[in-house]
Amino acid sequence: MLKYSIRRLIQLAFALFLIATATFFLTNATPGDPLTERAMQLSDDVKANLYASYGLDKPLGERYVITMVSMLHGNFGESVVHTGQTIQSMLADRLPVSARLGIQTMLFGVLLGLVLGVIAAVKRGTWIDRLIVIMAVLFISAPNLIIGLLLQRYFTGVWKWFPTIGWPSGKELWFGGWKYTILPMLAGGLGYIASYSRLLKASILDVIGQDYIMTAESKGLSPLRIVTHHILRNSFIPIITRLPITVGMCITGSFMIEKIFSIPGIALYFVEAVSNYDLSIVLGETVFLALIYVTAIYATDLLYTVVDPRIQVGGGKH
Amino acid sequence: MKKEIDSIVQKTEEELEKDAFTIVGINLREVNAVTRKPITYWQDAWRRLKKNPVAMISLCVIGFLIILVLIGPILRGYDYISMVPADKNLESSAKYWWGTDSLGRDLFSRVWAGARVSFAVAISCTSIQIVMGCLYGGIMGYFGGWLDELMMRGIEILSSIPSLLLTIVIMIALGNDMVSLLIAMSITSWCGTARQIRGQVMQLRESEYIMAAEALGASPFWVLIRHLIPNTMGLLILDVATAIPGYIFQEAGLSFLGLGLQAPAISIGLLISAGQLVMNSHPNQLIYPAVILIVIVLAFNLFGDGLRDALDPKLRQ
Repeated sequence: MLKYSIRRLIQLAFALFLIATATFFLTNATPGDPLTERAMQLSDDVKANLYASYGLDKPLGERYVITMVSMLHGNFGESVVHTGQTIQSMLADRLPVSARLGIQTMLFGVLLGLVLGVIAAVKRGTWIDRLIVIMAVLFISAPNLIIGLLLQRYFTGVWKWFPTIGWPSGKELWFGGWKYTILPMLAGGLGYIASYSRLLKASILDVIGQDYIMTAESKGLSPLRIVTHHILRNSFIPIITRLPITVGMCITGSFMIEKIFSIPGIALYFVEAVSNYDLSIVLGETVFLALIYVTAIYATDLLYTVVDPRIQVGGGKH
Repeated sequence: MKKEIDSIVQKTEEELEKDAFTIVGINLREVNAVTRKPITYWQDAWRRLKKNPVAMISLCVIGFLIILVLIGPILRGYDYISMVPADKNLESSAKYWWGTDSLGRDLFSRVWAGARVSFAVAISCTSIQIVMGCLYGGIMGYFGGWLDELMMRGIEILSSIPSLLLTIVIMIALGNDMVSLLIAMSITSWCGTARQIRGQVMQLRESEYIMAAEALGASPFWVLIRHLIPNTMGLLILDVATAIPGYIFQEAGLSFLGLGLQAPAISIGLLISAGQLVMNSHPNQLIYPAVILIVIVLAFNLFGDGLRDALDPKLRQ
């Protein structure tokens, strides 16, 4: 167990290093550089100064080493497009926005999904079950991109129930401003509802067929106790091991949802930075998002062994 | 065995009075004969798939979509590129079935031309995924040992990288054209397939017919191509059915974000992205490509679900 967790830690650190390196070289391989446009009308020595101030006058190899070392110190460099902005100041501004949306979406989607999953499993074979299954397939197939656009079209464009654009700020940043957050929450949450209800239903049906449920019944346990102590406990294993990724992803925001509803979160900023060739921001944000992702994967790996002692991990053949 | 049974029958017939019985048409040979033709795995799967109405309807829809993707762009006789300045932003009519876009181009032709590109992207990426996954997974599973360990560590590291970010960064470096999109979307996609194939191959290589092939002197490559890959077909077909809608959606998403293909190229995602700009004044420009995207993804997902039930031997009764 200890050996496994150390091995995974080294692997994930290597994955992080790999994505940082790949991002550095790939973004530097782009034709032209981020300063071309700004430097166009400057005289030669001013231009040289500008390049020197961003460290872009040095050869690629040296820049790579400098970037990686300063990255370890948490320094990703200044934005080329928005002067004075760093990745830290950007995160301080925008992470709360993405996190608020993500947490709200996740609570709505996951909780509702779990409730529907239990209902579908308990009422399996009835029309309620079928309705939930159809809904899940529909929500998975209609991607959040389309759901978001259609919600925006009808609820803000045609019926005008909600404002088209805007986001709560100040005191309302974490709680309030619901008129702005409901549509993005619906658009992002339907996918969670679909996947979690499916997952829990399949898991419950799997557990119900196991021998230890029959054993519990034959011991004379009450149905309620069987459900709470045996069925739910066991069927939550796949849910719990999936949660870290969901939580990690929800905090970092959704590219589609933030783009559709023009929400000033970190995902939208990333898309803008990519379009503007703002390479230091792209690099910094890629590493930040990858760090969260990798942490979530690590948490998942560890949870697997903690939650379900039957799962044996380790090197060698499986 | 048969003789024994026959002799027992004869004995009992002798002990009992023969006249007390009449043969009503039982023939031992007929009873022991195989009455039904043996059915293969594929016939069995197809029989079960045919019983599933949802899957069959989805299959018909997929067939219909493929026909439309092939002939849709030329069906109305309009070019999907050339513009008619007089016919800008029209609603649906007999002349333009789904209306026209802001440059006066027939939307029906454009949607199907876009869907054609999306299908092409999806099919190419799926092929890369399957071929890469088969080779990598097959080699891992067949040779095992330190090579397997090493290659497995590689997969573990690759699949810890958030794929969307890597895709975006590759798109920055290579530019917004078709080839770079294919590379960017395929770079880590084969890891899952490779893992599945590895598991399957590890199971299969212990079986007798592989040992027989090896004893006859077949080369490892031949065993892999001729024996191991065909036996993982069920898995691969399922992979294809789930991968295609995934890629179609991923392409649409990337193009919508402005990180995939870019105009004047055409794809479902680009059409949706263009439709969003005018969705309040001319909703048809958003609705048609959006609905087509949903229909494509829904048909493939429902068919994939049916296929999973049909191919899964665990559900056999």
